[in-house]
Amino acid sequence: MKTLTLPARILWNAFFWTYERATWQYDLMVIAILAFVWLTPPDWLGDPMASGTGPIGWMLAMLRVYTSSRSS
Amino acid sequence: MTLTGLIGHICMFPLRSIIAACVALRIHPNILTFVGVLINVAAAVALGQARFITAGFIMIVANIFDFIDGKVARELQAETKFGGFWDSVIDRFSDIALFLGLIYLYSTRGRTDYVMIAAIAMMFAIMTSYTRARAESLIAKCKVGFMERPERIVLFMIGAFTNRMAAVMWVIGVLSVFTVADRIIYTYRELRDAPPEPAS
Repeated sequence: MKTLTLPARILWNAFFWTYERATWQYDLMVIAILAFVWLTPPDWLGDPMASGTGPIGWMLAMLRVYTSSRSS
Repeated sequence: MTLTGLIGHICMFPLRSIIAACVALRIHPNILTFVGVLINVAAAVALGQARFITAGFIMIVANIFDFIDGKVARELQAETKFGGFWDSVIDRFSDIALFLGLIYLYSTRGRTDYVMIAAIAMMFAIMTSYTRARAESLIAKCKVGFMERPERIVLFMIGAFTNRMAAVMWVIGVLSVFTVADRIIYTYRELRDAPPEPAS
């Protein structure tokens, strides 16, 4: 394990999970999972029960409006 | 205190009074376990009918029973080996019931892709428990991997309340695969590094 670079070690530790609950590593994993669940547009996943682009879609739409207003 | 530790601490307040009530009524923990699975079946039916919010609320009630049975057993000093076995077996039924509810829902919508995703997630969720149980018959402890039952249940509730069940199925599926792999790797390493048993 000592021969791995830092990014590779982070990835390995995320996949080979040995941390307890209520540690900062656990919190980080929970935040990453919630971000995936709530931010990923249901359309991207082909969700059978939900549709729309979700928060990422809204952000992209707002960004598009912002950039078009700046260019005009 | 960490964020998840704080959430756990807050959730324990109402649970403590429920545990105290069950102890005062001297409800047998095995009955609590069984009631939990029955309520989980009701949650699965609600999931199958696409009533996600209802399913979410039913899952909360079901998992209160799941959570408190061990604590009540300890308080009543009624911990038995059979109780542990019963709890593990009934938990698997609860797990499978919820996945079956979703599989039924996706099949009625003609979504074979999500039927497969939910089925694979279910398979690895069960294998997560099996690999640990089997490993712990060979080594002292095998508690590695992220996606255990409490994480699955909380994710099911989040998916139900926010209508993001597809994303939840992906997360449970992928992380359960890693959890099973972690347990196989961990057990292999532990057995490889263990001192050889003396010849009989």
